[in-house]
Amino acid sequence: MKAPGYIFAEALRNLIKKRATVLYPYREVEKIHLPDGFRGKIEFDRPKCIGCQMCFRVCPAKAIEIIEDERGKRPIFLIYRCIYCGQCAEVCPTKAITLGKVFENVALRKEELEVR
Amino acid sequence: MSFEIPIGPQHPIHVEPLMLKLKVEGELIVDVDIDVSYIHRGIEKALELRSYPQGLFLAERICGICNCAHSLCYCLNIEQLLGKEAPPRAKYLRVIVEELSRVHSHLLWLGHYFHTLGFETLFMYFWRDRERVMDMLELMTGNRVTTSYNVIGGVRRDITPEIDSKLRRMIEHLRERMKYYEAAIRSEPSLLGRLQGVGLLKPEDAIRLGTVGPHLRASGVKHDVRLDDPYSGHEEIPFNVITYDTCDCYGRVMVRIGEVFESLDMIAYALDHLPSGEYRLKMPPFFKAPVGESLSRVEAPRGELIHYSISDGGTNPFRYRVRTPTLANLASVAAMLKSRGDYEVYIADVPAILGGIDPCICCTARVIITDEGKKTRRITTLTELERYARERGVRM
Amino acid sequence: MIWKILEVLIFPGALFILAMSLFYEWVDRKLYARLQNRVGPHLAGPFGIFQPIADLIKLLSKEDIVPAAADKFLFTFTPIIAPTLILFGCMFLPIAGPSGIISINGDLIILIALMSLFTVIIYLAGEGSNNRLASIGATRAALQLVGYEIPLTLALLCGAISARSLSLRGIVEAQTSYGSWIIAGPQIIGFAIFIVTAQAEMERTPFDIPEAEQEIVAGWSVEYGGRRLALFRLSRDLELFLLSGLGATVFLGGPSGPLIQGLEPFLHTIYFIAKSVVVLVIFTIFRAIFARLRIDQVLSFSWRYLMPLAILLVIITGVVA
Repeated sequence: MKAPGYIFAEALRNLIKKRATVLYPYREVEKIHLPDGFRGKIEFDRPKCIGCQMCFRVCPAKAIEIIEDERGKRPIFLIYRCIYCGQCAEVCPTKAITLGKVFENVALRKEELEVR
Repeated sequence: MSFEIPIGPQHPIHVEPLMLKLKVEGELIVDVDIDVSYIHRGIEKALELRSYPQGLFLAERICGICNCAHSLCYCLNIEQLLGKEAPPRAKYLRVIVEELSRVHSHLLWLGHYFHTLGFETLFMYFWRDRERVMDMLELMTGNRVTTSYNVIGGVRRDITPEIDSKLRRMIEHLRERMKYYEAAIRSEPSLLGRLQGVGLLKPEDAIRLGTVGPHLRASGVKHDVRLDDPYSGHEEIPFNVITYDTCDCYGRVMVRIGEVFESLDMIAYALDHLPSGEYRLKMPPFFKAPVGESLSRVEAPRGELIHYSISDGGTNPFRYRVRTPTLANLASVAAMLKSRGDYEVYIADVPAILGGIDPCICCTARVIITDEGKKTRRITTLTELERYARERGVRM
Repeated sequence: MIWKILEVLIFPGALFILAMSLFYEWVDRKLYARLQNRVGPHLAGPFGIFQPIADLIKLLSKEDIVPAAADKFLFTFTPIIAPTLILFGCMFLPIAGPSGIISINGDLIILIALMSLFTVIIYLAGEGSNNRLASIGATRAALQLVGYEIPLTLALLCGAISARSLSLRGIVEAQTSYGSWIIAGPQIIGFAIFIVTAQAEMERTPFDIPEAEQEIVAGWSVEYGGRRLALFRLSRDLELFLLSGLGATVFLGGPSGPLIQGLEPFLHTIYFIAKSVVVLVIFTIFRAIFARLRIDQVLSFSWRYLMPLAILLVIITGVVA
């Protein structure tokens, strides 16, 4: 039963197998498959919003601020605080908030990470 | 000649800060002092400041790897407080995701464990196969790690036939792989030499030191919250409690491998017998809980996880308390690391023994009172702190 | 004279050896990664072939820190002596012809002594950095030396006995004149012992005990950073080149092979590299399929199995030869 180097055969088999790594940031970015229902960066549909502020109240991370624009009260989403829990999307009565598939949330300035 | 070696607070085998002060004589360890007070995140206090649905997402972040167990424990706790129960379909879906995350946690642990033993190749293989589980979690819940799947009163999403078939394929694939790994570990002498007879913990010691989870089961004690105090669908889904009586690191590896098989079987059973109906209760976004207290136990991948809450009738918990399995297991690490008699512990065994409990240091911290004037350090227990607080009229 | 200097400095001397050792590191890393189903180095150059050079340059550009408690003399000189020693050893290897740049009677013995001396340097480097983890690593390195050195020496000497020469030139020429490599015959056991003990000499899994990252952080090299670490890494690469070259020379016939008139140095180099890469591949596969042993296990393994096997091999070689 005891055999030193049991995984020898498996290791050699891997030489002809395709590598498991995805060269993500350099190449093969298209290989990242995100399933439907992935919780990524928030997408906001301004015309649908009725200004009920429910998203603001449920947000556990306090990542939503309410401001006023020409059409009344509306949220802005501070992605740098967002924990992608999806509570706002769930609670929104008009489905104005959805969680998209953008997951590369890196920016040099804070303002770029605000969804308006 | 004996001198002290610090393993930590930052060390390649620690994912999180933990201090092991080893007193060694040559390569032998004679004494050990464990200090876990490097991470204090104040999560319990923060939970008191959040409403029940908001607190769920904080509770989930107590630990990244067993987030599913934490969120499940939190949901069970609050549901118990409210006197509600999740619908049957939700219970089964919870079991599926819970067991998936157990599989992912065990595979992660196995890979990391072999990495600490210097077996990089198995580490890579385990983590490669773990990706399949992560993909499944992503498909089912919307994210790889932080699932946010359990909510108070049910689960977030239902399962589709597509996910069902993919899950079954994953189970088949993983069973094959795990069989291979089991054979590999059983027959690789260089591994067995590092595992067998290392970190002996007798059953009576394990019970006395309050050990939980796979670590306890590797000492031959049949204890599993899923069996002893079944929750959320575990009453109906059959499974075997895997125990090993070798009481060493080898047993700890084999228990976890066995549990991966059991978890896969449980997922398959849950898929076959999935009840129809609602998967979520209608819950308002804000609610008040009746006055009372509630305690819930969940078998997290690392062992028994306890959440305890007191409600004063408001929208927030009055007091929330979390007991993570790692804290329960750390006492046994200190016992296992001391050489005594013909039981010898080498420095090289530290990763094997410490890794054997699957340490997760978050939220394990205790308060150490350092008196700069007197140059003393004293570890304070929770009871003492509570008394201290009561004397000064501070709400803990 | 000028040719001799060029020979020492460029081909097949220092520059060529350094370049080849970095290439060997790349082969080792790439193959190791592929055995683990990973990519390995892939950024610098085609297939990441320049990654070892890039790592070296990066390390050289880092800040140089000498710990306050360290022994300044040892801390400064061991990183310089280590690669020098191994580079000197590589000069004995017959790369571009049946004899190396330096070829004297009994240079095999000098090589073995150099390799043991390298471990002593490692011990000094660890103790000189005055760190508890480093001194444990250094002690482990010295302890391990006790375990593997004698079987390694015996395995190489058995090769020398069957070639009836103690110089590498003599060993290569003997294999050319016999028409068969030393590995054919009982010396295959010697080759196996050589592979195992060379892993210990190079401190690679399963014998990477002196610098076990997960146990004692980086062992003896824990305090070294920047260009000092770069020099130690370079000496590791050179050691990889030296030992795979030595294995190829003693057991696989070194640079011998079918020759074409006028192209000898070139063909010799090709044969030498091809054979030593074969040894390197065996080293790498060996590294990939084991877990790290414990220091007491290494010693008992070595004295219980390797040592009797090596002595048995000496007897067999004596009877056959």
